[in-house]
Amino acid sequence: MQPELFGLPITASGLSRRRFLQGAAATFVLGWQRPAWAQGEASAPSELSGPDFDLEVVELPVNFTGSKRVATAVNGLVPAPLLRMREGDTVTLRVTNRLREVTAIHWHGLIVPQAMDGVPGISFPGIAPGETFTYRFEVRQNGTYWYHAHTLAEQTGLYGALIVEPRTPDPDRTDRDYAVVLSDWTDESPMQVFLNLKKMGAYYNFAQPTVGDFFKDVSSQGWSKAIEKRGMWNRMRMSPTDFSDVSAATYTYLMNGTPPGGNWTGIARAGERVRLRFIGASTATFFDVRIPGLPLTVVSTDGQHVEPVDVDEFRIGPGETYDVIVQMPDDRAYTIFAQSMDRTGFARGTLAPRPGMEAEVPRPDAPVWLDHSDMMGAMVAMQAHAGHGMVMTPPKQARHARTEYGPTTDMRVDYPRDNLDDPGVGLRQNGRRVLTYADLHTIGGALDPRPPAREIEVHLTGNMERFIWALDGVKLSDAKPIHLHPNERVRVTLVNDSMMTHPMHLHRMWSELEGAEGRFQVRKHTISVQPAQRVSFAVTGDAPGRSAFHCHLLYHMAAGMFREVVVA
Amino acid sequence: MKLLHIEIQRCLRVAALCAMVLLVSARLFAQEHASGSHPSGQADSTGLGSTEGQPQRPADARDPDAYADGFEHMGMTHADRLAIGSMLAEELEFVSGNEGQGGNWHLQASYGGDFNKFRLRSQGLAADGPLDPTTSVEGLWWHGYSAFWGTVVGIRRDFGPGAHTWLAFGIEGLSPYWFHLNATGYVGEDGRLSARLKASYDLLFTNRWILSAALESNVYSRAEPDRALGSGVGNLEIGPRLRYEVSRKFAPYVGYVWEPSFAGTADFRRADRHPVTEHRLVVGVRLWR
Repeated sequence: MQPELFGLPITASGLSRRRFLQGAAATFVLGWQRPAWAQGEASAPSELSGPDFDLEVVELPVNFTGSKRVATAVNGLVPAPLLRMREGDTVTLRVTNRLREVTAIHWHGLIVPQAMDGVPGISFPGIAPGETFTYRFEVRQNGTYWYHAHTLAEQTGLYGALIVEPRTPDPDRTDRDYAVVLSDWTDESPMQVFLNLKKMGAYYNFAQPTVGDFFKDVSSQGWSKAIEKRGMWNRMRMSPTDFSDVSAATYTYLMNGTPPGGNWTGIARAGERVRLRFIGASTATFFDVRIPGLPLTVVSTDGQHVEPVDVDEFRIGPGETYDVIVQMPDDRAYTIFAQSMDRTGFARGTLAPRPGMEAEVPRPDAPVWLDHSDMMGAMVAMQAHAGHGMVMTPPKQARHARTEYGPTTDMRVDYPRDNLDDPGVGLRQNGRRVLTYADLHTIGGALDPRPPAREIEVHLTGNMERFIWALDGVKLSDAKPIHLHPNERVRVTLVNDSMMTHPMHLHRMWSELEGAEGRFQVRKHTISVQPAQRVSFAVTGDAPGRSAFHCHLLYHMAAGMFREVVVA
Repeated sequence: MKLLHIEIQRCLRVAALCAMVLLVSARLFAQEHASGSHPSGQADSTGLGSTEGQPQRPADARDPDAYADGFEHMGMTHADRLAIGSMLAEELEFVSGNEGQGGNWHLQASYGGDFNKFRLRSQGLAADGPLDPTTSVEGLWWHGYSAFWGTVVGIRRDFGPGAHTWLAFGIEGLSPYWFHLNATGYVGEDGRLSARLKASYDLLFTNRWILSAALESNVYSRAEPDRALGSGVGNLEIGPRLRYEVSRKFAPYVGYVWEPSFAGTADFRRADRHPVTEHRLVVGVRLWR
């Protein structure tokens, strides 16, 4: 028996786990292929153009850290080759599985029929070893997307950029165009990472508050402030440094498959306009991206054009994409710096007129504790107002599911905050202009102008101690699907009842994020919801059949933070 | 007749004490699970609303299946049902003290999913003298009762002379302020009662240098001369251990344990010319996988 969880081979006996581990270990069967990051000064991952693609999923010996490991590659490359398609074309992708385990590729953000979506267990059973599966669909959109394994192989290297050229050329011409794929690599097997987290939620968190931190606070703020600062966290058994489940304790952060020391370099000369297509291809890492010395003009997110907005920095979650345009002022080198949200490490590359140049690499910022607003949402503002004797319109109360009062759920937020203009923990008041969702406005407005006819409230819940992640306190296995009527317009309201930021990805249908008073804000396929935050998006049930809706943190998805959505 | 009367009284007193030990823990447990005194959303005295603690769910809580309209999830086995095996050697140490030298262990192995696990626990101390009376193995069913608390039910079997077989029932969990608590009540095959309470706290000097302070106490309703146990509170064990986490799963440590015995147990020890209060230096390794 080999039941599949979206590709994760699982049984109650642990048998298939052993098989999985063996499969990962006994693999030096293919000839040595140079890992992509070692391809000298190659400034972009290799590229394939459609409408016909032949992709072979293979095991690939790599060495990112000084230790040899086996990665999952496409056509011998990590990241997988960049796929270039044309809007309006019907593309054919023949994917051959040369692994010893089932695999599946999902075209992240593309609107495709159910059978072409690449989610094992929902779209199809997956691609068995030795088999070829042919994906064929019409490309009805343009922009920057990506593709990845909808299995644990997403952690071991199966991800790549997917760019759809517009039918009518983009008026915003640039001189250079690079995909910048940000990812996280571990020498451990993804199953080992998952098991470590299941046994100890804080396994990779080496930034927990210490006695030393306490006395530092005592000396700077006094005893009562220092005790008060810890009181709520300690009463609630929550960690103020629980930013990421997995840290640089095991991760090496990659830019286009290149560790920081390898310095991936994109060539750009003085005066040139450069489009950088940032892709959040990590499994458990939010990156905060900036290029010291260069302002970034954000022109699109999740493949959708937005009104250009100038920032110094932006946060990109797993699953999201951002197109950014920079203008090279001179022939100097500029560092593309992507620090992990937990500040334990960074991915790094360079824009420079010649290969081999580099600029100063900043140090990661000091980690900032989660805020009380990350736990209590709008209660913080309420109390502040109450303290000043002011009257405030009470914020809208969340409606918790009855299943949130059990062992799966360690906290609930009654009055979530609705502030889309919050850049999130670690980016608040950092002296830089940081992009927020409130800055993003999709050009052309909503695809479907109808107001939502009803609201679906879903809470993002977890139990960090036991590493249980769920929606409404119910794991996928125990949950019923969310049903949408064909072509109905609904509002999905997400309330984050946890201390972590969750990038929520709905397959095959656009998520049109709403701003204040339900006004259309930005169209996305992956929406990051901050701790204690409420976010609403409108969706039209225009994808008949079954789709996946899940947290794009791989280990949260594996733990159960996942729903099926049925349009019928 | 009078002797019997005294013995009954004594038993009752000890039973009351056992009950108290359990009740203190149960109280902490219950606080979280039955404090529905403030409706969800009302700020309580701490000003935290219902995010703190585990208030009971309101009667009109939302139905998570309300959006399914009768559709069912396709039957598959997912990773969220994964049964996981784990092993923890909390204490695995060489001891040297006023009772001689030997070894001490606290081991636990579990297998199961998020809500139910089979658990084996064993603890013991074998020094120059007889086996420590707490030396035992337990087979338990653990049930995740709430976010931070679980219940255990099962059987304990002692090692050494005067060993009993006990029914075990208890709670374990993480209390506010990060105290790991573990309270187990036992009913022996001949009706005798006992209780074991454990508490521990990890103090992080750094994220690798960690001082773990552990406390354990055992209470018995009846004396067991073969194990040199009197009735009443038998012992208290306080042991700080300083470990260095070379990795999460491998942490050597040194520690010191101070263990006074009380009442009848102390009398037995005096009679046997053993020290009433044991103290020992320990060197060991904390392991898990």
